[in-house]
Amino acid sequence: MTGNNSNTINVAITGVGGQGVLTLAEILAKAALQCDLNVRVGEIHGMAQRGGHVVCTVRIGVNAKGPIVDSGSAHVLVGFEPIETLREIQLVRKDGCVLMSSHVQYPVAVSMGKAEYPSHDEIIKRMKMFTDKIVEFDAMELAVKAGSTRALNMVMLGAIIGTGAVPISEDAAIDVVKEAFPKKFEKINVDATRFGLEHVKASL
Amino acid sequence: MVKSKELLEDKPGKKVLLLANEAIARGVLEAGVRLVALYPGTPSSEIGNNLTFMAPHIPDFYFEFSTNEKVALEVAGAAAVAGVRSMMVCKGPGLNVAADPFFSLSYVGVRGGMVIVVADDPSMWSSQNENDSRYYALMGNMPMMEPADPIEAKSMLLEAYKFSEKLELPVLFRTTTRVNHTRAPVEFGKILSRPSKVEFEKEPFRFVPVPAVARLRHPWLLGQIEIARELSEKSPLNYAEGDGDLGIITSGVAYNYVIEAISTMKVKAEVLKLGITHPIPEKMITKFLSKHQQVLVVEELEPFLETHARRLAHLNKIDVDILGKEQGYFSRIYEYSPRIVMDALSKVTTCNTPINWEEMDKKAEKLPELPPRPPLLCAGCPHRATYYAIRTATRGKAIYPSDIGCYTLSIAPPLETADILFDMGSSITTACGIAEVTDQDVVATIGDSTFFASGLPGIANAVYNQHRIALVVLDNRTTAMTGHQPHPGTGVTGMQKEVPPLDIEEVCKGLGVKYTKTVEPFESMADLVAEVREMVKWTRENHSPAVLISKEPCALLTAADRRRAGEFPPKYYVDSEVCNACKRCLNRLSCPAMYMDSETEQAVIDEALCNLCGTCVSVCPQGAIKQEDA
Repeated sequence: MTGNNSNTINVAITGVGGQGVLTLAEILAKAALQCDLNVRVGEIHGMAQRGGHVVCTVRIGVNAKGPIVDSGSAHVLVGFEPIETLREIQLVRKDGCVLMSSHVQYPVAVSMGKAEYPSHDEIIKRMKMFTDKIVEFDAMELAVKAGSTRALNMVMLGAIIGTGAVPISEDAAIDVVKEAFPKKFEKINVDATRFGLEHVKASL
Repeated sequence: MVKSKELLEDKPGKKVLLLANEAIARGVLEAGVRLVALYPGTPSSEIGNNLTFMAPHIPDFYFEFSTNEKVALEVAGAAAVAGVRSMMVCKGPGLNVAADPFFSLSYVGVRGGMVIVVADDPSMWSSQNENDSRYYALMGNMPMMEPADPIEAKSMLLEAYKFSEKLELPVLFRTTTRVNHTRAPVEFGKILSRPSKVEFEKEPFRFVPVPAVARLRHPWLLGQIEIARELSEKSPLNYAEGDGDLGIITSGVAYNYVIEAISTMKVKAEVLKLGITHPIPEKMITKFLSKHQQVLVVEELEPFLETHARRLAHLNKIDVDILGKEQGYFSRIYEYSPRIVMDALSKVTTCNTPINWEEMDKKAEKLPELPPRPPLLCAGCPHRATYYAIRTATRGKAIYPSDIGCYTLSIAPPLETADILFDMGSSITTACGIAEVTDQDVVATIGDSTFFASGLPGIANAVYNQHRIALVVLDNRTTAMTGHQPHPGTGVTGMQKEVPPLDIEEVCKGLGVKYTKTVEPFESMADLVAEVREMVKWTRENHSPAVLISKEPCALLTAADRRRAGEFPPKYYVDSEVCNACKRCLNRLSCPAMYMDSETEQAVIDEALCNLCGTCVSVCPQGAIKQEDA
């Protein structure tokens, strides 16, 4: 048994304000709606968004009513940055999957020398206390390959679809991505989604 | 990101993924609302952000970003008195600002339907308090509705207008962050048309509450609330569902958590879901209490319904255990979750929670303490330069009254230029109080939107009463924190019309400020520091207020403009040959685009995050931060 998720797929997305976490949550939910699925998105706006730690949730399924994903209830935990992923690791289910971009963005406390960024080994070791299914990759590198660092969130979208954990078809996801951005950014975002998708499919 | 355009589509039956705030903006169309006035405030902001772009395309519709919430409530209240449907929107603390007209409005009542949307913020994601606005409905005797999700946010809004017109009273439409900022599939309904103009019919002995009138209006109001209570008893917005020995009373977002909790734990319970929470359906609740031996009350923040339930049980001599905050089953602080409800259910039933959360918490406690990542001023934010100058000029020794906006983030090290804050506009007035009873220098900061919202009476006060305060207006040409709404200084209205902007320096001069200057914070750091020093010296010598306006657009606007134009200034970089790794830039600016290379210990600029303001150049004593050639 897990938390509030009977017949519901819970996705928690975490990162740094400004990385495109909100946009990813909305596009993922739109893709779910396109597949005729009930969906809820929980967002964080305002002061909390300014460069700080952000968590959004996407809940898919008939029983999804509220936006909250409790500890131990996320089928997929998506992290845009290593320590931000670790900060929310308790959200993931025992058999849940962590998708983590390895690209580090130092918090100011670390830049100022007031705190230390944990080592990569330490981060992974701690995550493994909660789940063994950890897919780690440099999503920033894939975004750059697609044409823009700003496409980082679409790499993560592709990655989520690539896990097969959410009942959303690849086509539905790509269709929604095409509609979501101005024409001149379409190719970058579609490529980013495909890169993320292929990468995760190949590594699972 | 839903385009405001989509919200305008005349396609009944279409299902769109909407935030409750977007659903409310759509509801304005479907309810035939003629006028909406508001001052933006998270978590309500997206209502206005959408309406302002919809407004020019809606016939016979007027929308404005009013200068503050009190103004907005008066504008919208008068429109409803005149006879059209109107709406006012604010965040929880915004209703405090509008409290004065709020109480008068329920006395005089309205002719057209009126809804006041208030967005409370349990957990204080973006607010200075988490006070529970439901008590306003009780104290002001205004009917109240509480939607649980984006779907109800629209359907209940349409009911609220009918309710308002039946009772000739405004309706308080109380939402919370997890309603406002949840997205769900919402079905479009029909769009109603609005009247172009109405005739204001005079009725001064109703609408001018001099004591003789008010004395008659108060009993009228109490009578209307009794009529409202009858409507509340019969309304489908209050209903019971499910079966079981256990009773649960709930409202708002907590209803979702209750439903998820009882279905996950397979608890047999009857749930009384209240959509109208003032006046409460007393007969319905009394009957519900009589039916059950145990009733759990699940509501975020204060024990509002719980106290009502206890009152009714006592009045009607019902033998029932009402379980809620009073016995510690629930907390009066922070937002709830399904887990919180499940934990309470595990205590009052024999059912177990699906997860051993205690064990889980213990595991999480073992995680190492991670470097914090609080929200902070963006890379390229002009406030960073201004605060750096203020701190340097006053050597960190002045008192720094702050105000409500992004710039409150200067509370964090290393800027540390926020010492006291009460509410919108309090930077100026708290500065007055401090200057009067201390010998310390006082440098207050206020944003441009906040300046117009509630800074003006403070300025008049400081001038007339001769308070020696230095005020820096951080004019970033927008209301940044809530999502870049215009204000009287910007030259654009809520209708997207271009108008002459009010000039902050001229306004200050007009109010009698003798020392005013406007500077651009990215021009020269040395000059900026000198300006602050001079201003502070002047206030000391002249025992009067001085105002310095630091004018530079918000970094997010500048970045968006550059992306649109595809034109960028040359990049900044740290010359590793010159940098001596003193870390002054890192330690004094805390710019999110700069970090330390762990091997060389030199500063590095992250190109992807840098917004090209160049402030770091003037902070480096070595001259190691350089800009590439154009």
